[in-house]
Amino acid sequence: MENIAKLENVTKIYKRYKKKEGLKGSIEGLFKREYEEKAAVLNMNLSIKEGEFIGLIGPNGAGKTTLIKMLTGIIAPTKGMIDVLGYRPNDMKNAYKKQYAVVMGQKSQLFFDLTVNDTLRLFKEIYEIQEEEFQMSKKYFSRLFGVEELMDVQVRTLSLGERMKCELIVALLHNPRILFLDEPTIGLDAIASKQIRKFLKEVNEERGTTILLTSHYMEDIKALCGRSIVINHGQLIFDGKTKELFEKYQDNKLITATFGYTVNNSILPDKAKLLLDEGYKKCLMVQKHQAKAVLEQIMGLEPEDIMIEEEEIGAVVERIYQEGAALHE
Amino acid sequence: MKKDEIKRKSAANNTWLSKARKYQRILKVLVRLRFQNLMVFRLDFLGPFFVDGSLFIIQLLIFKAIYANVDSIGSWGSGAMILYIGTFSLLNAASMTICFFGILGIPYKIRSGEMDLYLSKPVSPLFRLTFECINPGSLLLVVFSIFIIVYGAKASNCRITVHAVASYLFWLVLMAFLYYIMEVLIRSVSFYLISTTRIEQLEEALLSLCFKLPGIAMYGIYKVIFYCILPYGIMATLPVQSMLGELTWKTALQGIFVVAVFAVITALVWKKGIRHYNSAGS
Repeated sequence: MENIAKLENVTKIYKRYKKKEGLKGSIEGLFKREYEEKAAVLNMNLSIKEGEFIGLIGPNGAGKTTLIKMLTGIIAPTKGMIDVLGYRPNDMKNAYKKQYAVVMGQKSQLFFDLTVNDTLRLFKEIYEIQEEEFQMSKKYFSRLFGVEELMDVQVRTLSLGERMKCELIVALLHNPRILFLDEPTIGLDAIASKQIRKFLKEVNEERGTTILLTSHYMEDIKALCGRSIVINHGQLIFDGKTKELFEKYQDNKLITATFGYTVNNSILPDKAKLLLDEGYKKCLMVQKHQAKAVLEQIMGLEPEDIMIEEEEIGAVVERIYQEGAALHE
Repeated sequence: MKKDEIKRKSAANNTWLSKARKYQRILKVLVRLRFQNLMVFRLDFLGPFFVDGSLFIIQLLIFKAIYANVDSIGSWGSGAMILYIGTFSLLNAASMTICFFGILGIPYKIRSGEMDLYLSKPVSPLFRLTFECINPGSLLLVVFSIFIIVYGAKASNCRITVHAVASYLFWLVLMAFLYYIMEVLIRSVSFYLISTTRIEQLEEALLSLCFKLPGIAMYGIYKVIFYCILPYGIMATLPVQSMLGELTWKTALQGIFVVAVFAVITALVWKKGIRHYNSAGS
């Protein structure tokens, strides 16, 4: 696969005013201001291959959105080189802008008082799409996202999930080579998130669109992204296969055993940590490499039912971010 | 060699032409969408006709009260002053109809980070911002202003020749452009400063002053300020002077020079502003 984006030593530094407390601080600020520099992205090196579905993970303020804004040319890097599809994004060439689309979960490009079809008309002209191609794309995406009935409805009357599907149609209408998604599932319920995940997967597989997705929801990343990039404090912590990311950070397994009798805790394997104790039902957390031995011990206690699960995603995320914070310090 | 040159020129012309056509189509859609948007709320659509009409009558009454006991200002009699008021009013009304409300939104879009959505699209963000909020309600003001201009031209007893009208229209278009670039320039400051409310208030005060007082009434340092630094003083004055046959070559060249300088400054401030744009947090 061909490399379509490359970042070399990219840094973005913001300057922010540090106001001293109270009225005195405000008066002082009129004459002399103190500024502090904050590196939103620091010496980032990255490359993206055509057709990849990449998850960009990080806590709030990690630099995910800044990275997307630099890749789209909305903001310029303080230093370093960014090359996407042979363009310097901040040159703001229309030829480049025609090849990508960006969807920001908290900013809408739809006209709230009009219909989705009305908004699409404007984007048809902006992207210079031929009428026939426009009708075909509109039909394809409205069917894919299951919103055919909503195209002539006032946008303000749509639910958040429906609106996000329509935002994606607007973004995909000109068949971009790269799609930047900044928190597209933010605030959506489980069903809507799942539907959007399914559609994005199809767009990536069927159309070959390269997708860079930022999300706080690890379910999104795990379900969609073959590759994950974890950043914290503007620095790269992990860049590799999503599967490897979970293997690296998902240290524990959860074993839930139900017995036909009340089990005394003293006979449970001492390598496991007891998370739930209901007498006849025990939930244990055990390190992955000790899971086999612990399981054998529990089987020896003749349980009626046993369930082995992966550790919950929240704990994994916490561990990844903690490692990032330690690296920063 | 010549053939290649012709081919290159023809290709450049085609690119320019296709670009012009693209922008023409976008403009058409923006205007249509704006009409549709306004028509969703009937009061919003019909209200401005009444509000703008009322404001216009109030402005005329103020003007009448000020000039009731004044026979002339500088070399201008009341007819020329009526022509001046009509011209200023037309510049203001044209701006309100076409671009004012779009430009007005620039500082908010910069502060809120909404500008992201404009910068990431393959169309000039300024073009889109300029034409996305046209205000048909102000069309009534345009019509009123034209009536006042015609009445003022008759009352001033100036010779209405094809040359005078053509010259007046030329200056009117040029000054409408100056009015537009001044609006953009003031709002572009938001790229560098978070709050520009006071600058906008200054603009409002200057416009209000220049609506009542033509440039010919300004002398010394005031003339330098209102002709060159904050060129609101020339906006309606030069077209009226051209209609009255009072415009000297020197003033005309000065006027063109001021427009050119401010066009360059606005273009630079806007372009550098876009590069300076840091967006807002997600």
